[in-house]
Amino acid sequence: MVSPILIIALGLGTAFLLGFLKDSQRGLAWLVTLAALAGMSGVSGTWLWALAEGTAQPMDVWTAGTPPPFAINLRMALPEAALTLLISLTGLLSALSLRDALLARGRRAMAVLLVISMALCGVVLTRDVFNLFVFFELIVIATGGLVLLSEDHRAVAAGFKYMVVAQFISIFLLLGIIFAYHATGSLNLDDMTHAGLLGHPVGAIAFFMLFIALVAELKPFPANGWALDIYESAHPGFSALFSAATGAAALFAVDKLLLVGGETWLPVATGIGLVTFVAANLLALPQTHDRRLLGYSSVAQTGLVLVVLGQRDILGDQTYYIAGGILLAHAVAKAGLYWLSGLVRERHLEAWAILRNSPLLVFAFATFLALLTGLPPFPGFYAKWDLIHLLAGEGRLWLLGLILLGALVESGYLFRWFGYIIKRQAPASESLEPNAWQVIPVLVAAAMSWALAWLWGDLSGHGNLLLVLPLIFALAFLFLDDLPAWLKNSLAIAGLLAWFGLTYELYDPLRLIFAAIFLPGGALVLLASYHAHGSRTGFYPSAMLMYAGLAMLILARTSFEFFAAWELLTIGSYFLILRGKESEPHALSYLLFSLGGAFLILAGFALAAQGQADMAMAALAQVAEPLAPWVFLLLAVGFMTKTAAIGLHIWLPGAHAEAETDVSPLVSGILLKAGLYGLFVLLMAMGSQTLYGLNLTHAMLWIGAITALVGNLLAVFQEDAKRLLAYSSIGQMGYALFGLAMMNHLGWLMALMFVINHYVYKSMLFLSVGGIAKRTGTRLMYRMGGLITLMPLSFIAVLIGIIAISGVPPLSGFGGRWIFYNAILDSEARLPIIILFLAGPIAFLYLFRLIHTIFLGQLKDELRQIREAPFWIVMPQMIFVAILLVVAVVPGLVLRRVDAYITQFFPQGALNWEGLTITSQYGWWNPVAIMIIVGVIFMSIFAWLLFVNRKAQKVKQFNIVFSAERPYRPETTHHAWNFFAPYRKALGFLTVPLVTLFWNGVTDTLHAGADFVRRFYTGNGQTYAFHFIIFVLAVWGLAMGARA
Amino acid sequence: MIVQVALATGFVLILIGIYGALTQRNLLRMIVAFTVANSGVNLVIVAVGYLPGRTAPILDATVPAAEAAARIIDPVPQALVLTAIVIGLGVTALMLAFAYKLYEKRRSLDIARFSELKW
Repeated sequence: MVSPILIIALGLGTAFLLGFLKDSQRGLAWLVTLAALAGMSGVSGTWLWALAEGTAQPMDVWTAGTPPPFAINLRMALPEAALTLLISLTGLLSALSLRDALLARGRRAMAVLLVISMALCGVVLTRDVFNLFVFFELIVIATGGLVLLSEDHRAVAAGFKYMVVAQFISIFLLLGIIFAYHATGSLNLDDMTHAGLLGHPVGAIAFFMLFIALVAELKPFPANGWALDIYESAHPGFSALFSAATGAAALFAVDKLLLVGGETWLPVATGIGLVTFVAANLLALPQTHDRRLLGYSSVAQTGLVLVVLGQRDILGDQTYYIAGGILLAHAVAKAGLYWLSGLVRERHLEAWAILRNSPLLVFAFATFLALLTGLPPFPGFYAKWDLIHLLAGEGRLWLLGLILLGALVESGYLFRWFGYIIKRQAPASESLEPNAWQVIPVLVAAAMSWALAWLWGDLSGHGNLLLVLPLIFALAFLFLDDLPAWLKNSLAIAGLLAWFGLTYELYDPLRLIFAAIFLPGGALVLLASYHAHGSRTGFYPSAMLMYAGLAMLILARTSFEFFAAWELLTIGSYFLILRGKESEPHALSYLLFSLGGAFLILAGFALAAQGQADMAMAALAQVAEPLAPWVFLLLAVGFMTKTAAIGLHIWLPGAHAEAETDVSPLVSGILLKAGLYGLFVLLMAMGSQTLYGLNLTHAMLWIGAITALVGNLLAVFQEDAKRLLAYSSIGQMGYALFGLAMMNHLGWLMALMFVINHYVYKSMLFLSVGGIAKRTGTRLMYRMGGLITLMPLSFIAVLIGIIAISGVPPLSGFGGRWIFYNAILDSEARLPIIILFLAGPIAFLYLFRLIHTIFLGQLKDELRQIREAPFWIVMPQMIFVAILLVVAVVPGLVLRRVDAYITQFFPQGALNWEGLTITSQYGWWNPVAIMIIVGVIFMSIFAWLLFVNRKAQKVKQFNIVFSAERPYRPETTHHAWNFFAPYRKALGFLTVPLVTLFWNGVTDTLHAGADFVRRFYTGNGQTYAFHFIIFVLAVWGLAMGARA
Repeated sequence: MIVQVALATGFVLILIGIYGALTQRNLLRMIVAFTVANSGVNLVIVAVGYLPGRTAPILDATVPAAEAAARIIDPVPQALVLTAIVIGLGVTALMLAFAYKLYEKRRSLDIARFSELKW
């Protein structure tokens, strides 16, 4: 093995050598610089490989041939190898990104770049505190130089502010060093540990000064205004280095020092990190400047890693896996994003919409975002999982909660930005001129992201998500994205069916129903996607990611598998929803509610696992008091965000209504069932729980009933057909929730009936309404009317659909109702039942509008020429009609086996399935007889009408007169707008958007608060110095507090 | 005694420097304040390494290597001070260069004038 000191020698030596080149040989100098950085990466890389493979042992280099304290020593072990590789690779790629600026300034600038890379590696390698000081001062000087590479003239001021703070830092560092030396007689960190630095009278104060100086390099809140100014104004190539490499090196320096300090200083580090993480994320909310936003995010992520380092006492051996996962994810993503920002000319977030011209760059951006926010399969995901579990195991719940809160806020502003990229209009001045030197670093970072995902999955104790077949299948669509849509659609359908065929045996009856909806059901809905032309970039990776999540969810045996699947389906569906024309805010609100819910689920699992890294889902049943009700509460609320229970429902109408025609059925008919599946699993394992005397399932019963009522009521007053259907879904999910919460046999059967029915009729209705909207160019029902003759097939689908939803005989909805009526006879909860009954007739009101306002009434002039919806949109609807009819006649086909399955949970109240009759303890139901009776009645009336119709007189459209006026425009003859005005007058008070107001209030308060607080970064270098002094005093207080 | 005096002087210089850097708005005065503080730091470092009654850590005819351990003061702080002075010089030079550049742009040396980057 080559000596690690070569890393330092290469950097420093080449920097000197550049001086021998002529100033005119700038291209050559640049190549030499690249070669040196590549050489440094090579040395680190070989060490990393050898150490990881076990072919080399960690080693100490004695620089002067003698051991410390007589000479400086460097150490090369696994973390050092990884970090020096990170630093020199970032330096190398930044040298590419900085190419133009470097060539313009010549070899001196290149020498400075080499020096900073060398010094950063030095900070990582050295074990000597004074050497640490020297390297840090080199970094300060080099940073001051490299900041000037920017074209932004404000960078000069930023550099000066940095040096002011750096002066303060170096005073503390030097004083700390000399007193630590005085106390221990050595400058070596390991000697200081052995000599018991903190035991010495001046040792504690010496340590404090060292600590404060090194921590200040992490840009902690509030002493970080200088860093934000640098991030904002420096060249993005340098900011990448400043964020990824400087941050990583400083963190490692703090870690080395913390090992000297022992356990007393860990809480202080945790406190600083946590405040920084939460505050920086909150302050980032109102940012509109891209690089400053990334700066805030960098500060926050560094804070999070500091929290992890501060939790070393409980994380133990896992510390580096977790801290490394977060740190490397942050470094790669942030460097990638800064390099990417070099391709965008204007500095506000909307300008990034220009990236849309290149799907590859959008993919890179999405990768970096997923990496930063810790989504599967990236390292942050594994790290977050382990961290949260260990924290929960030790009962550090405040910390856990604040970390998740900060992470949620961070996801908020990052995904809002992603929404801008996908949806906003780039300013006219923007144009994407991919410059190879700037694109290459971005693509390398994206590739590294996936390599890290592989590595962390491989190292994790939970199995590598990148080896899970459904996920591989979904990711494969990324490579196929240029193929025509019909081909990809066929592949997707084949994949779903094949996976169902492969796993068919593995499901119990309950899971089989969900599997049937997710997989063949998903394939059926995908038939509608054949109508799309072109290659439909981005649709299939997103859709298949969601299906992969769903497929993994029902097979999940452990909480880790379950949670990973949950996050995958969330992120996939987010990308899908975002595709809708006007869906930007709704997709964001969907994602935030879903991630919030996911974090609650994560917390619930972590609490339940009690320090274990993972648990079998079935083990939820063994969670004991007093934890069990809390676990139940967290999981239930988490799942209820997906089913849009009242209070958590505001994301649904927009997300479902604004989605594309064939996406609405995916996210409504199929995706909502994931939440119900979660609730099923939860209730099967944990049953009823009581918290402070409150029966939680009883509370769910109320939530279900109120959700049903409010969902239906809101649906009544919609003019937009898709919004109407979306609100109707909220109501329907309320019914299902109610059924589950009844905690009896028939209640569960009813919930399952809703699972099946809702999939069928909501998918069908969304397709019909989507098809109609496609033809008419509007979703507003009052602008339609009289379409019955022009779109007869859509009419049939809607008619059958609303008969099924409303629960009147003979279709399957009635079966649901019948089971429901039987179920409530078993239940004690009277008042919620009454509320639920009220919701029933309200459903009729909105369903009636679908027929009345769209298909009946007067045809509008501009719609006279329209045709039936496209074949591929109508075809699945007809299949759904057939399914509804079959399920209506023989419900036992599906329900019988589930009924038997539920018996193991609730032996009482099973149904009796004899012949064609279904008997409960309160009565019986014969679907076939009902079908025949209703058929006969219908045919008789129909025949009679035909008979009477002979005498009828044909009336033309305007052959009417009212109020002595003869109308001549269809609009004046078809009362459709604000159809239920009287009801609105009576019940309107129930539809005041209190929940929306509440959540808007929350986000507005956060924004306004952050916007106010961030003003304390006045931009004055002296104020920043004051912040540093305040920070020192605060940490001193914290440290004294921690000791006491 | 001399050690205590040197230490006290060093800390007073540091505090004067910090006070100056925080209150003087002129860039050049701030830089001067930092050099004052740096001198204080250097004085403290030397004072910490000083042992009363001993001689300078130079091995020659008067201090044979065999007796060195008992007769010289600790050489390490002195080496550190030399390094610190060199680095301090570099940083001060760079700060002065920055101040010059800033002055060129604005014709002003008031730190409060350079606050376009904020929030």
